[in-house]
Amino acid sequence: MRLPDRVTGSFLVLLGGAAAYGGWLLPPVPGQPVGPNVFPLVIGTGLALCGLAITFGIGSTFEEKEEIVPIEGGEAKAPPGKFYGLRALLPPALLLFYVAAADRLGFIITAALIVYATATALGARWKLALPLAVLAPIGIHLIFSKLLRVPLPIGLLPMPW
Amino acid sequence: MLNTLMDAFALISTWEVVIALLAASVYGLVIGSLPGLSATMATALLVPVTFYLSPIAAIATIVAASTMAIFAGDIPGALLRIPGTPASAAYADEAYAMTRKGEAELALGAGVWFSAVGGIAGTLSLMILAPPLAEVALSFSTFEYFWLAFLGLMCATLVARSSPVKAIAAMFIGLLVACVGIENPGGVPRFTFGLTDLFGGIEPIPALVGVFAVAQVMRAMLTPEPPPIPRRKFGSILAGQWNLTKKYNVQMTRGNIIGIIIGVLPGAGADMAAWVSYAMSKRFSKEPEKFGTGHVEGLVEAGASNNASIASGWVPSLLFGIPGDTIAAIAIGVLYMKGLNPGPTLFTEKASSMYAIYLMFIIANLLMIPLGIVMIRLASHVLRAPRSSIMPVIMLCCAVGSFAIGNNMFGVVTVATFGIIGYVMEENGYPVAAMVLGIVMGTMVEQAFVTSLIKSDGSILPFFERPISAILAAMAMGAVIWPVLLWLWQRLKRKSPAPKPAG
Repeated sequence: MRLPDRVTGSFLVLLGGAAAYGGWLLPPVPGQPVGPNVFPLVIGTGLALCGLAITFGIGSTFEEKEEIVPIEGGEAKAPPGKFYGLRALLPPALLLFYVAAADRLGFIITAALIVYATATALGARWKLALPLAVLAPIGIHLIFSKLLRVPLPIGLLPMPW
Repeated sequence: MLNTLMDAFALISTWEVVIALLAASVYGLVIGSLPGLSATMATALLVPVTFYLSPIAAIATIVAASTMAIFAGDIPGALLRIPGTPASAAYADEAYAMTRKGEAELALGAGVWFSAVGGIAGTLSLMILAPPLAEVALSFSTFEYFWLAFLGLMCATLVARSSPVKAIAAMFIGLLVACVGIENPGGVPRFTFGLTDLFGGIEPIPALVGVFAVAQVMRAMLTPEPPPIPRRKFGSILAGQWNLTKKYNVQMTRGNIIGIIIGVLPGAGADMAAWVSYAMSKRFSKEPEKFGTGHVEGLVEAGASNNASIASGWVPSLLFGIPGDTIAAIAIGVLYMKGLNPGPTLFTEKASSMYAIYLMFIIANLLMIPLGIVMIRLASHVLRAPRSSIMPVIMLCCAVGSFAIGNNMFGVVTVATFGIIGYVMEENGYPVAAMVLGIVMGTMVEQAFVTSLIKSDGSILPFFERPISAILAAMAMGAVIWPVLLWLWQRLKRKSPAPKPAG
């Protein structure tokens, strides 16, 4: 997901501009020269200026080249496929899945699916992923629901405690 | 004084606090020693648990977990050359070189011993610095607070190991995040886009968990698994540490002082302290040629430094609510939640709680020596746990923890969103620590800024009229101008390359 500075910089210009404009539109406190509008205006302008500077590459000389620590004794890595980078989106996607499904399926089932998916994506075999998917949700449920009394969704599979 | 101390003892000698302290210590040691899981992440994931503890027990967990995690990061650094936390990155090469020379015990022993020494030095600085500063801070008005917060934000951008422009941009993004909600001078919904969930603003803690934990799991998806630690037997860990203490007395003290100073500076934390101290140790060493070949001197100084910064990072946090580093930023959130709102009056009104914090820091650092030795001996077993079994559990903690903060699902959405934001920012060289500071301090900066503007009737002049305010303003301006000067100097140097020395 390494984007050119031009792209991130331009995005920041847009974001800053939008924030400044949004702040501009806010109503001031009656009878006061300043109100909720000032701060976004200042921030947005600053952000847009920074974005502009980044777009033109100012300050990039300060950036240190990332050191790549070679891992000793590792086998040659397979060349990553075209969609390899998208794997990074799996964790947030799973969290959103939790939001969407937890109320209906309940905590235990949703959590088991999340654990299984994450473990498999990180290269675990089913021999590790399956017991983990059974035990980890129960353990977390014990700590958070029993000990800390967080109302976790019950759903299809209520726990006996 | 003695009475307060007795009260403080009474506060911490309950079963809840003792158990919380021990459990959090073990937790901090394990998380810190696992490569890729940082001390900040360990602390952030603890916050939901602290909701259900008494105030002192809650702070005990934060103190213990962060102290232990910073030391524990040295373990994989020495054994694998992979720092367990960013704070150990500065000297991981050096420690690993020592292990290859067969001096793993000395390297790890220095880690645990000088971490404890540094931690206690940091605590002493907290005890000595905070009360007199509180006296001064009592006379601060919103003008001073504004400049102080501004200075803090600028420090955060200066110390980032990346482009200062990007760091400032990251800080602005954080401030922008803090703008969301109705908690603003006008009390009008701002940037809520009609979503009721956004009315209360974006909670800093889920944002932190997203940036530090979810983004880390995302990164793990794309990076190869670190190799397991080879099994090995260790000799005596503490042997020779006393001799090192005597031999490198100066270095140790210097490391402590640098750590304390960097800890007090807002935004600069343990990792910065370690880098600066390691470089300093090399610069002033009598035998700099030995550095990098497995020489313990730099380890002593940097190990003492990063732990010293942890405790002193609490000085600005407790006094002004300005976090000294990202861990302190989390601690501030917990303090507010527990009714110990940061501010100078904390030291007079809640003096016994303050003493309890000092005591817990000292206990945690003393406890680090035995627990740390046990952890070192067990490291080759604990660290064999594959990443694919730890990351899923972290995912669950993110989901449940962020839900627990407000008992609503919007927290989980926030975590996921900030996971993506943090990941993209870090990949592109925008330091997330600067953004985090912006989020945590945003409301305070705005309040100080707008209140000051209202008081001064829209004029900028009063910002510079009060004496302390003027000094702080000058420092803040310096912090802004410094990178510009540095940049100009770099450009000039490049345009006229230095003439080659004759001969």
